[in-house]
Amino acid sequence: METVDLSLVSLVLTFLLLVLPVVLSLKFGFALIKPLFYAVGRMTVQLILIGIFLKYLFLWNNTWINFLWLIIMITVAVFSAVRSSAIKISKVFIPGFLSFSIATFVVIFYLNMVVIPLDNVFDARYLIVLGGMLLGNSLRGNIVGISTFYENIRKDAKKYLYVLSLGASHYEALLPYFRESVQLALKPTLAAMATMGIVALPGMMTGVILGGASPEVAIKYQIMIMIAIVVSTITSVVLTILMTLRVCFNRYGVLRRNVFVDVNGRIP
Amino acid sequence: MIRFDHVHLAFDGRKIFNDLSLEVQRGEKVVVLAKSGTGKSSLFSLVLGFLEPDEGQVSFDGQPVDEKSAWEIRQKIAYIDQDVSLGDGKIIDLFDFVLKLKANIHLGGSRERMQELLQYFEFDQEILTKDIENLSGGERQRLAIIIAVLLQRDVFLLDEVTSALDKQLKKKVADFFIARQDWTCLVISHDPVWLENPEIKIFDLEEGGWKP
Repeated sequence: METVDLSLVSLVLTFLLLVLPVVLSLKFGFALIKPLFYAVGRMTVQLILIGIFLKYLFLWNNTWINFLWLIIMITVAVFSAVRSSAIKISKVFIPGFLSFSIATFVVIFYLNMVVIPLDNVFDARYLIVLGGMLLGNSLRGNIVGISTFYENIRKDAKKYLYVLSLGASHYEALLPYFRESVQLALKPTLAAMATMGIVALPGMMTGVILGGASPEVAIKYQIMIMIAIVVSTITSVVLTILMTLRVCFNRYGVLRRNVFVDVNGRIP
Repeated sequence: MIRFDHVHLAFDGRKIFNDLSLEVQRGEKVVVLAKSGTGKSSLFSLVLGFLEPDEGQVSFDGQPVDEKSAWEIRQKIAYIDQDVSLGDGKIIDLFDFVLKLKANIHLGGSRERMQELLQYFEFDQEILTKDIENLSGGERQRLAIIIAVLLQRDVFLLDEVTSALDKQLKKKVADFFIARQDWTCLVISHDPVWLENPEIKIFDLEEGGWKP
């Protein structure tokens, strides 16, 4: 079964649906019209561009270009994750990049080589699409994980230093914050998994079904991708936190104030 | 025992210590006097390695405080902060956490000693099952003192540890520390219970010298 293509007219008809939120906004005075059109506009332009780009990416299906594209996706993901936390990008970009790369590549190669398995593990259709799904999801986890970890230690500075003064090793003093931030980072993914199929039909499954595959195939892919997301999220959060410790703390175990965007100077 | 050698420290463009030299001998009880807001708590942060001096040296037991020694020094000192932050959860779990740290596990965490100290510092036995959040400032201070004593260390850095206590308890706490000949105490306080005790030596931070 082939997917029914959407003609330009069909797409215009889709935009016509937006009349409803516009009417509702006008009627009830929601300040939504401007942000709605801004978001729809951005999404449309971005997707058209990525559509053209992916078309050629799939057409060429060149190992190096695919690999390079995944690296660019990882770089953007790290930038977004760190920018959304309170940490200076210059301090943690390299450890962040390394941990995102390790988590993404290990999981993708396992899927492409062992689970599916593919003749060409760098096949654009799998490498780029799976990479995007993993990065998109672990990104959210990493934002929560890094922010919670460093913000909580900063907020709790007195208690943290008190624990160090009690003779705790750096590991012992950090462990409660580490546990809390990893658990929090995983929470949305675990919650989404637990309600999957009941509350919502996941995006990938919808895509595979619309793409012409049977629901059985779609379900198998969905299960695979959800497990991959959990694994890459926990791996990247754990690695990012562990790898940024050296940069963010001095050798006395004290959190460096200058790693935060909004604070310069020293711990009082 | 604790030595500050020509220490200079400034942050945010503000001078905290300007050529501070001070030595506390083993067994001495020294009160450091300074106006509030002058950063005198930084004195303890320097000993514990939470701050590094801009110039000069801080040493403990003849060993300069550096990136390596700071971790060992923290295992030999008991430090109590002015408004000690003990986190949340049950008090018994806090004792458990502290006594199960690798550096402290050899202490065994004697239950008897804990009961003794709780009684001495006027806590009911039920306090152990209470939540830390529900403690008053004074109770927090006394609890931090008990933890410090349970760690069986003989050097104490006490930052305004009697500020939230009533008169009778203030005296009890000060007497408790002063009576131990083998304990070295560096105390930040304005309280007469410390200042008027004949065993106490007073160091004036602003003048940079001992008070007669």
